[in-house]
Amino acid sequence: MNDALLELCQISYRYPDGSVGLDACSIAIQRGSRNVLIGANGSGKTTLFQHTNGLLRPQTGVVRYAGMAVDYSRAGLRALRSQVGMVFQNPDHQLFSASVQEDVSFGPLNLGLDMATVRQRVAAALQAVGMTEHADKAVHNLSFGQKKRVCIAGVLAMQPTLLILDEPMAGLDHAMQQELLAVLDQLHAAGITLLMATHDIDFAYRWAERIHLMAAGRCTASLNATDLGEHAEALAAVGLPLPQVITLHRALVERGILPANPPPRCTASLLTMLAEAKITQETTC
Amino acid sequence: MLIEQSAYTNRWRRVSPAAKGLFTAGAFIAVFAANSPLTAAIIASLVVALTVFGAGIAPSCYLRVATPALFFLALGSLSLAFSLDIGDGTPALKLTSGGLLKLAEVGTRSLGSLAALLFLVLTTPLIDLIALLRRLKVPALLLEIMVLCYRMLFVFSAAVHETLTAQSARLGYATPRLVIRSLGGLAANLTLQVWQRAHALHLAALARNNDGPLRFLEPSFAHSRRDCRIAGLAGAGLIVLAVSWA
Repeated sequence: MNDALLELCQISYRYPDGSVGLDACSIAIQRGSRNVLIGANGSGKTTLFQHTNGLLRPQTGVVRYAGMAVDYSRAGLRALRSQVGMVFQNPDHQLFSASVQEDVSFGPLNLGLDMATVRQRVAAALQAVGMTEHADKAVHNLSFGQKKRVCIAGVLAMQPTLLILDEPMAGLDHAMQQELLAVLDQLHAAGITLLMATHDIDFAYRWAERIHLMAAGRCTASLNATDLGEHAEALAAVGLPLPQVITLHRALVERGILPANPPPRCTASLLTMLAEAKITQETTC
Repeated sequence: MLIEQSAYTNRWRRVSPAAKGLFTAGAFIAVFAANSPLTAAIIASLVVALTVFGAGIAPSCYLRVATPALFFLALGSLSLAFSLDIGDGTPALKLTSGGLLKLAEVGTRSLGSLAALLFLVLTTPLIDLIALLRRLKVPALLLEIMVLCYRMLFVFSAAVHETLTAQSARLGYATPRLVIRSLGGLAANLTLQVWQRAHALHLAALARNNDGPLRFLEPSFAHSRRDCRIAGLAGAGLIVLAVSWA
């Protein structure tokens, strides 16, 4: 069954200075899934993202949203951008109103919604990212992590079905990353499809359902996260190692300490398995 | 930054900006309608007292914000009172006829106007002022420029600070010659950043479905009507005082 919400088919894009952004790149994002796009700097992640939102128009190939080729007319782009929300890597590149509330209202007002609805959406979006108490603050008085949340709220207030996040964890400390992940989990539970760029293969394995590998402007592989352990070569081809938890789990399986299944997706799961294995050993003794 | 801090932390932060604007307008009218320098001085003092004791702006902060303006006011007032006399060949400062009276009139009015303006800016964040101007139907283009300039002011002050730090860390300001060189580099770097950030903001606006004018939500204030009534009465009181004080 093909339930692709967004499809890029054989997209090529070359920047005016001659550098290659995308080179016959194809990728499909399933409705309601959690996706990670992983690749080195300059591999084309941001260029790909800008195609999803109609900010860049492919020179060859076709972008399909909900099965329909994207219409690049004013009305078509308006429809696409109201469905595909994009959170940029640097919050200072995205936030241009001075106050939090004003900035979050920018997108919904562009959709032509009435003031009452916009107020409602702004309040809901700020609540979703835990920024309600900062609604009246000036953007420049916020921390980097708070600015990122405001960026997400600004896009959420447009109620997109697909949320694109360009390296959202960059520059965030561990606590902020966990908070942001909790927000993203809530959004996913609410039915929003998520596509995120990252450099962190351990995080990608832990969080995503589908992992898309990028190199030299191409999506070299789209893998189910659960099968990632079987694709060490595909990862190596884009300069990535296997997630540490897979390597560690395999070593423990080889020594007969842990069962091969189910493979843990994160260190916490591995530790739980170890604890359980220890209890089982003690009871058998 | 002092103005910014006061505007966000003062006691009257949540008072409607329309009310504060109304009172400021009343104070402006009152100082210009004052029939004597003494009356204007009293009105100025009342507005200062209200800012310091009412809104809770620290006197030291108030003085620091007012000092540059007071300095220019002093210079301007002195030039009104004195003129340069070169009648007998040697230049000399001479008190102009009626100069002191003029000095008192203009000086106290200016002080009153300054007090009124400081009352507004020290109690109201610029974002609320812009929203107020929007409600007063100031042309959207001007307001968009104000919004972007205000936001970019902080983005670029951060960029300048970061570049200066990076340059200083590599001895960029060690000698006068290097200072000139580094400042040149800073200017060039900022020019590039302006261009890049303008492009990034344009993309961000497009990504959120913007098709021209920048639209923002107006902040709402719980007791706006009540605040405006009180401010209107206070402003009217000042005007009455100005015209009736002998």
